[in-house]
Amino acid sequence: MPQLNPAPWFTILFFSWLIFLIVLPRKVLSHTFPNETTSRSAHTPKTEPWAWPWY
Amino acid sequence: MVLSFFDQFMSPSYLGIPLMALALILPWTLYPKPTSQWISNRVLTLQGWFINRFTQQLMLPLGRKGHKWALLLTSLMVFLITLNMLGLLPYTFTPTTQLSLNMGFAVPLWLATVLIGMRNQPTIALGHLLPEGTPTPLIPVLIIIETISLFIRPIALGVRLTANLTAGHLLIQLIATAAFVLAPLMPTVALLTATLLLLLTLLEVAVAMIQAYVFVLLLSLYLQENV
Repeated sequence: MPQLNPAPWFTILFFSWLIFLIVLPRKVLSHTFPNETTSRSAHTPKTEPWAWPWY
Repeated sequence: MVLSFFDQFMSPSYLGIPLMALALILPWTLYPKPTSQWISNRVLTLQGWFINRFTQQLMLPLGRKGHKWALLLTSLMVFLITLNMLGLLPYTFTPTTQLSLNMGFAVPLWLATVLIGMRNQPTIALGHLLPEGTPTPLIPVLIIIETISLFIRPIALGVRLTANLTAGHLLIQLIATAAFVLAPLMPTVALLTATLLLLLTLLEVAVAMIQAYVFVLLLSLYLQENV
């Protein structure tokens, strides 16, 4: 079986880990996930007017 | 030079460039850099959704201490599933059929989980070697069995992925050759063989995804025991 040929074993190991450590986390981390958007309510809420000072 | 069916798994070079290098570098061009737009295009949205849901799902059984592994395990999943799926295209080279690559990932990551367990909670880590409720006379035998099963884990992890993908690719090649050879001789049988080939290809798509998932899931389970 050609997979058992020991010649490129270390090269493959080294190269695959190199790609796995350098390329992939950058690509995975660059995805950001914003908070879910809330839908606007159909009517604006009735605000209570405040015309007098606090005390 | 007589071609055998195993020649598809050799690590060949084309124009002096080893195909392994191309097969390991080029797939990441399929993952574009996310933009700062709130709603991005379909490809980015799909990839982002997959990464998000997968990480969420995988981190559920792990405690807070296991969340440090989120990036590593998600990157590993993306790595394996991309390589597996792209290998199903005709004439592509699948790096995950190489035992060297799979063992190269399985052994260090498994060893990392074991060492973390031994360092942070050695009693609990060693306690996993004896299942609860074992009858007293069986204890020595069971500890030996559990130790053997612990050390078989990385080998099983690597060989499982290799064997599944190698067997799948071999079967596809065999049945395709059969359909091709039978076509002038017995067209009906060749048509049935071609249908079998189609079903097998669908199976291999499923196997590609499932084997990548199983690899990462088992690693997360080993981590769960030890973190």
